[in-house]
Amino acid sequence: MKRRSFLKLLAVLPTTALTAGLHEVQAGLFRSPVRTNHLRPPGAVAEEVFVGKCIRCGRCVESCPYHCIDLLDIRHGVHAGTPLIAVADIPCYLCMRCVEVCPTGTLQPVAQEATRMGTAVINKFTCGAWLGLALCRTCYDACPFKEKAIVLRELMPIVIREACTGCGLCTHACPITAPDQTKAINIEPPTKGAAA
Amino acid sequence: MKDTPPAPSSKRSGRSLRTMRRCLLAAAFLLLILTPMLNYYAGITFIQGWYQSLGIGELRLISPLEGLESMLVSRQIYVPLLVGMLAPLVLATLLGRVFCSWVCPISFLAEAVATLRVRISGKNRFHDRLVLAKRLLWFALIGELLLSLILGAPIFVFLSPPGLVGRELMLAVYSHRLAWEGILVVAILLLELLTRRFYCRYFCPLGALLALVGSKRRLLVAHQTDLCTGCGRCAQACPLGLRPNLGETRTAYCWNCGVCIESCQTLALHFTWQTSKPLSKKTGSEHGSMPLPRSPACPFAQDLIRTAERGSE
Repeated sequence: MKRRSFLKLLAVLPTTALTAGLHEVQAGLFRSPVRTNHLRPPGAVAEEVFVGKCIRCGRCVESCPYHCIDLLDIRHGVHAGTPLIAVADIPCYLCMRCVEVCPTGTLQPVAQEATRMGTAVINKFTCGAWLGLALCRTCYDACPFKEKAIVLRELMPIVIREACTGCGLCTHACPITAPDQTKAINIEPPTKGAAA
Repeated sequence: MKDTPPAPSSKRSGRSLRTMRRCLLAAAFLLLILTPMLNYYAGITFIQGWYQSLGIGELRLISPLEGLESMLVSRQIYVPLLVGMLAPLVLATLLGRVFCSWVCPISFLAEAVATLRVRISGKNRFHDRLVLAKRLLWFALIGELLLSLILGAPIFVFLSPPGLVGRELMLAVYSHRLAWEGILVVAILLLELLTRRFYCRYFCPLGALLALVGSKRRLLVAHQTDLCTGCGRCAQACPLGLRPNLGETRTAYCWNCGVCIESCQTLALHFTWQTSKPLSKKTGSEHGSMPLPRSPACPFAQDLIRTAERGSE
């Protein structure tokens, strides 16, 4: 190898590594923690605005009588201190206390049935009812808006997306847990730009 | 009528001032411990939150810098947020940075560290090993706001040390864990060993905002030049490294903690309520002061200091 190419390599390699590393760090710093079954509290503004509007005061966490809201820490970058609900552990019972105490308008007043924390999606490859393994209707029974948000068609549950609040009561109740820790019915967060 | 010499009475008033401040600091810290416990275990939700947003019944108090950041970054004005910021801002306009010296949990912890240090080392006064320019405080505020706007995410809301103390205590009660960012509080308390109130003096953006708002404050520590013997005890005592004997308590940097008043042996320093028009800095120390024994105390002053020094040795 010529000295020139060696020196070039010496200059290029760390630069690339640094850029890639910085990119990774930057992506990690801004990556939203909202994902399947991990949702913002009810009435939350759009996720892109959430990080700027929330002042991380933790009032929603303290006011939740079910202790379903948890605070994120610094490992979530700029989202540190924001509230998140892991619905598979403790779902949201839509009591709306957190909305009442939020001082910044990050959680905005919304009617129970108009809440859109996400949408339930049934995994037909693991759901016992859809596989024909059992006469399971646990999600249907757990749903606070049954016959509106979840209906039974030929003994199989179907989610009506327009009426689903994303509270996660069905996910919490679902008896089936796949190896990747998802349930047979999961809550997908709202799509980008949509307010909950 | 008893004839009390000025020095003990000054000491007594200073002492009571210090007791009052320490009691308030301790009560403010206790509130941070009790609030989550009452909320979590007893279900009493009357008081919620900590010094980022404190809810007492329907009343909401919101830390001004956090509210400002939220509105700047989201570019939306939310009226309830403004209303919540109002009370702290009015307090700062009238009394200055009193939140920092009389309420802030970091102040409580720093004072606890200082007390421990005195107990352990046996020394009474400590030198500030690293002294920077005081105006660094303003750059901290500007830099913090600029960084938040550049990143598009508020920084101080999740890294504010007073807020962190509250958040860590709440997390400990609610989810039985602590968050990593609490290391920041430990770091600030370690810096306390380097220079007293190092973070508060130079780097606290919230303190800077409150100082800015309170730069024309009503409550001031006034200095009476005719009573001052120039002993420099106040400058030694000031946790912010100001020199009250040169009238520096009238600058925006003073946080009205009253430590200098307590240190003064000749009653030359006292709190004053500046009512009418703002006074110029040059003549300021003479005006707006409370009626106090003036010249009769002067001949005693030197003797008092001498006796006091003999007493401490």
